[in-house]
Amino acid sequence: MSAPVVENAMTRRGRTMSGSPTPTPAPKATAGRRMRRPAILISAAAYLITFLVVLPILWITLLSFQQSDTILSDPFSLDSLILDNYRNVLETLPLVQMYANTIIIALVSVTIGTAVSFMVSFALTRMVFRRRGTQSFLRFYLLSGLAVPVYVLLFPVYRLDLALGIYGTYLAVIIPYVAVSIPFNTLLLTGFLRDFPSELEEAAIMDGAGLFRICWSVVLPAMRPILATIVIFNVVYVFNEFPFVSILINDPDLATVSLAVSRFQGQYTVDYGGMMAAATLVLLPQLAIYAVFQRHVIAGLTAGAVKG
Amino acid sequence: MVWVSSPWKIALMVFPAFILFTAFFVYPIVYAGGYSLTDAAGFSGADFIGLDNYLALVDDPFFRRSVSNTLLILVLSVTFLVPASFGLALLMQQRVRAAGALRALLFGPAIVAPILVGLVWVFILDPRVGLLNHLVEPLGIPPVQWIGGDSLTPYSIAVVFIWASVGFAMTIFYAGLQLLPREVMEASSLDGASRWQQLRFVTVPMMRETIGIVSLLLITNVFKIFELVYMLTGGGPVHSSETLVSYMYFVTFTDQRYGSGMAIAMVVFVIGAITSLAYLALSRRGRLA
Repeated sequence: MSAPVVENAMTRRGRTMSGSPTPTPAPKATAGRRMRRPAILISAAAYLITFLVVLPILWITLLSFQQSDTILSDPFSLDSLILDNYRNVLETLPLVQMYANTIIIALVSVTIGTAVSFMVSFALTRMVFRRRGTQSFLRFYLLSGLAVPVYVLLFPVYRLDLALGIYGTYLAVIIPYVAVSIPFNTLLLTGFLRDFPSELEEAAIMDGAGLFRICWSVVLPAMRPILATIVIFNVVYVFNEFPFVSILINDPDLATVSLAVSRFQGQYTVDYGGMMAAATLVLLPQLAIYAVFQRHVIAGLTAGAVKG
Repeated sequence: MVWVSSPWKIALMVFPAFILFTAFFVYPIVYAGGYSLTDAAGFSGADFIGLDNYLALVDDPFFRRSVSNTLLILVLSVTFLVPASFGLALLMQQRVRAAGALRALLFGPAIVAPILVGLVWVFILDPRVGLLNHLVEPLGIPPVQWIGGDSLTPYSIAVVFIWASVGFAMTIFYAGLQLLPREVMEASSLDGASRWQQLRFVTVPMMRETIGIVSLLLITNVFKIFELVYMLTGGGPVHSSETLVSYMYFVTFTDQRYGSGMAIAMVVFVIGAITSLAYLALSRRGRLA
């Protein structure tokens, strides 16, 4: 989908940025003088808009250092900034547990989701079915999930979890996360495998490699970039997911980060400073990880744009 | 690859995904469809009542309000977001110092959990503690009920949605702009086209497909707005700020009227399916079969 488009643009940008000035046609020398003023206005506009977008984040960071009554009376004041909110939050908020829960759920569901999607995508693009119709129907069947808003699944999955006796456990959300990830993963993986030459695999077969060896040591290593996109997209999804987890997990000890955040207003009520410190403590690690993997995250999320 | 294609090997590769997807994705849709035709509620049994749930929705003032709120948010945010993010992408193409860093910052909101976006914006919009009212207070303007009143909330939700989506949409536009053939742009400026003419007659027509894709994406995303409502107002007061999805959640899980909840879910399902299919038809790279 848009993954390759974005990725291309990214690498192209990287190249042009380091070398020549900008990808747009450089203004003619004669126009150079007239360009000056608009150029400053353009920069100013770009910076102003970016500032407005970042402002809410700066605002809650500022509030997280204010006393709760200062937030009501004079929140802009810089005189009485305190660290107490963070001290309180670190005592009252099970940060480690929240993150551990989320990471366990993310790791298990993304690993299983990627593995089963890879297996079915390999079958759909490489294996020879006795009837070709079965193959294209199966692909259509899995990809049709892209068109479905997950909200439809909430109540039925809740009932399924109850019936299977997994309601309220990690598995209660892990299985639906796997199921929901299959259409998108299959879309990207079959797309990649179709364009990927099968000579290597055929050579491996000549050398006597079995199905497992082919998948594990020949195909998978070549798929690293697309797997990175898939993993990042799905991990971000699990970290941010709220509707499923809000229904399927009732034990506060199993709460994920998103679920914990949804309870801040009830937990801290009028302790606004505490609430903002808690929000900042959740937000900052996420933004830090984003800063590190920025290019992959953007490619992964814009590829995920096709998800229903 | 006939060599590795014995029937049981194919089955081994296909079944895990097939079973998980069928049991936890396809079966739930059928289940929801079936339940929407019953009067299931609370702990009572489920009797078949045909289309009564759907007919009742037409007369349900809260449902109608949730539809009109969703449409209001849709119209406001899409009509603003598409030109704004397109313009922003054009802006980012100009010579701006550290444009790469600006683009990364603009994309930032897209990775923040929607539930956290909601919490952050409570502290902007809340009539008592919010930034906005602190800003207008010195101007002598009485506190405005940006959220929690009975009229402004959908507008505020549209603003928050715009905040969360503008960098995302800009990134897709920017990627599209980068891929425009440079020769055409150069040829048009050599032919003496002004910047405006170039934009109007060259850039926009060539970006038509991307514009369509972004619009449809934003539309599908508007129909999924849930966490913002949940955090900002909880749908209140008296369901005046519900969206389709948040009202479905309320009816199903708070009110435990499963039958009508699933009828709303099926409405959401049909809308989602239509917009997504339009999206897939438009982005030709997404060949389904």
